[in-house]
Amino acid sequence: MSILILFDNKLGSCLIMSVLIFMKRSREENKSKTKPKGKRDLNKEKTKEKILAAALELFRRNGLDGTTTKQISKKAGIAEGTLFNYFKTKEDLALFFFQKETHDLVRWYGKETRLQRAPLPEKLFAIIHRQLEYIAPYEEFIGAVFFRSLQLHSKLSPLSLESQELRLKYLRFVREVLAQAEEKQEIPRIGELGAYAVGLFYIGIVMHWLHDTSRGKQKTLALLDRSLSLATGVLKKGAWDW
Amino acid sequence: MGLVSSRHNSIGRATRLAQLGAGLAGSYLAYQLQRPFLNERQNSERRHALGRKNAKQIREDLQDLRGPIMKLGQALSMQTHLFDSDVVEELAGLQMQAPPMHGTLMRAQFKSAFGENPEEVFGSFEPEPFAAASLGQVHWAVTKRGEEVAVKIQYPAIREAIETDFRMLRAVGFAARMTGHLQESVVREAERGILEETDYLNESRNIQYFAKHLAPLAFVRVPKVHSELSCEQVLTMSRVRGLRMREFLKTNPSQEVRDKIGIGLTRLFFFQLFRLQALHADPHPGNYLFDHDGSIGLVDFGCVKYLKPEVVPCYAQFWSREWVHDTELYADIIRVVFGPNVSPAEPRVRRCMNEIRRFYDEFHPLTEPPTALELADPKFMERLNELAKTLLKNKFLSPEFLFLSRTESGMCNLLHALQARVPTTQIAREWMPPIPRIKK
Repeated sequence: MSILILFDNKLGSCLIMSVLIFMKRSREENKSKTKPKGKRDLNKEKTKEKILAAALELFRRNGLDGTTTKQISKKAGIAEGTLFNYFKTKEDLALFFFQKETHDLVRWYGKETRLQRAPLPEKLFAIIHRQLEYIAPYEEFIGAVFFRSLQLHSKLSPLSLESQELRLKYLRFVREVLAQAEEKQEIPRIGELGAYAVGLFYIGIVMHWLHDTSRGKQKTLALLDRSLSLATGVLKKGAWDW
Repeated sequence: MGLVSSRHNSIGRATRLAQLGAGLAGSYLAYQLQRPFLNERQNSERRHALGRKNAKQIREDLQDLRGPIMKLGQALSMQTHLFDSDVVEELAGLQMQAPPMHGTLMRAQFKSAFGENPEEVFGSFEPEPFAAASLGQVHWAVTKRGEEVAVKIQYPAIREAIETDFRMLRAVGFAARMTGHLQESVVREAERGILEETDYLNESRNIQYFAKHLAPLAFVRVPKVHSELSCEQVLTMSRVRGLRMREFLKTNPSQEVRDKIGIGLTRLFFFQLFRLQALHADPHPGNYLFDHDGSIGLVDFGCVKYLKPEVVPCYAQFWSREWVHDTELYADIIRVVFGPNVSPAEPRVRRCMNEIRRFYDEFHPLTEPPTALELADPKFMERLNELAKTLLKNKFLSPEFLFLSRTESGMCNLLHALQARVPTTQIAREWMPPIPRIKK
């Protein structure tokens, strides 16, 4: 009876659908965790990376809007139809780029044992600098993606469902870094707010980096260094101390 | 230019400076409020404690801000006449100790300036800096050919920070400029000098110039530039041996060695002034390295002043004092020092020139043979401070003399710390050219 009532209710049906999607996803995730990747999966991954490499090369030359899917498939050496099997739109391609970037960041940080013992401002500096170095060869593409992400209906928008997983992965990673600093009493407990603040700060830094015409983007380096030292200092003191 | 950057940087720096100002004002206000309730001893103790606390706070904040504001602190630390010894001691801490760039920032900055990581460029590279100063920091390294070198790496975007600081200085110093105590030409000269220090290619040219022209002074060691390992923001030089003043004095050098070094420093100063007409104008103690054999290592050629030709004979006149009997010559000196629109008869001008004459008559008398100057004598530093105060009060401020007097007072501080006995007048005369008329 209660189930029927729920089904009559639109909100209820949405809730149930979400639960079902979540269950399906976690089953798929468990499957992929338990089962090693087969040759087919590996081939798929390789093709995706080949497409991305071709697309990035074209984006660098012609910009995001100036590149067609036809050009991408031709450069990647696959049929245009096959391209759509992997990426429905250029935005999906961009999302894949950022997934790889976040994946690379987490894996890199895991190996940096010296950095893991460094003070928080240096850690955050290194993390954000690593991200900037990753995106550095594709400046124009990043600029185009940045402005597209401001459109609400875009998959790249921070509010879109498609970008949530990626966003959460990044926030969880930053949260862990901040939690270590909290444990070492480098900063007071700031909880999840800290991770969101770093996320927003990173967006600000990318925007600055895009506009930075100084040699070697040194103004961004200086801004990053000074703001992180200042922010950590303020957090450590609890407030303005005079 | 990054739209956000300049704003963020200037707002950030302005906030720190405003905080510093507010903090100092706050603590003085608290002291003034407590004062009626304190007896004389408490009053003096509290005042000293406040001086120490403020000096420490100033040092820490200036260190964090780096750049010219820290340079200003360094310059103030040499003005022993203006502050209590507590304050001077704290500010002296600024000489070599800015908070260094952390390893990640240093590598990022090196790569952005040089295009490669330091470990790829050198055979070995010491990641911990040997010294960190206001504009950059120095690391020891060994080249791939096995030569020991010092690598100077500049802080990122320091030029922009300098321009921001000078904008603020101009705003803050508006009142002082209106009263004439701070001339725009002096501010401009200081800004030019500090900005020039950020160009390491210019510094490497200075090193090469001094290495060539100081060759007659065999006791002076100047580093060799590795041009292939240098760029605008990275400077690689050979390592210069020797100890900084503080460490050198800890080794208890004999009076003979102190005198030898004192004489060497004085000869170095007058040789630069009278022969080269160019000065290594950053005289803080960290830039001089001493050895027991009496040799002197000179490093950091970022701040070099090539003097205008009329300035040198004008300065030489302080030593020969012919102007006392020559009104035309006197007028020429006033024109160079105070500017073309100032009358030699102005009382402040007379006060300055009389004070200069009194000082030189006392310590560098024209008697024959010239006597050695006892620089350990506290009276000398006291009188030098009095002279500086009088000149400052009477607006004796020429941009050309800014660097000249900075170098001279730096040398006096070094000689005083060494407690050396130096026949300064004799040395000055040795290098002094036959005094030409000052060019009009």
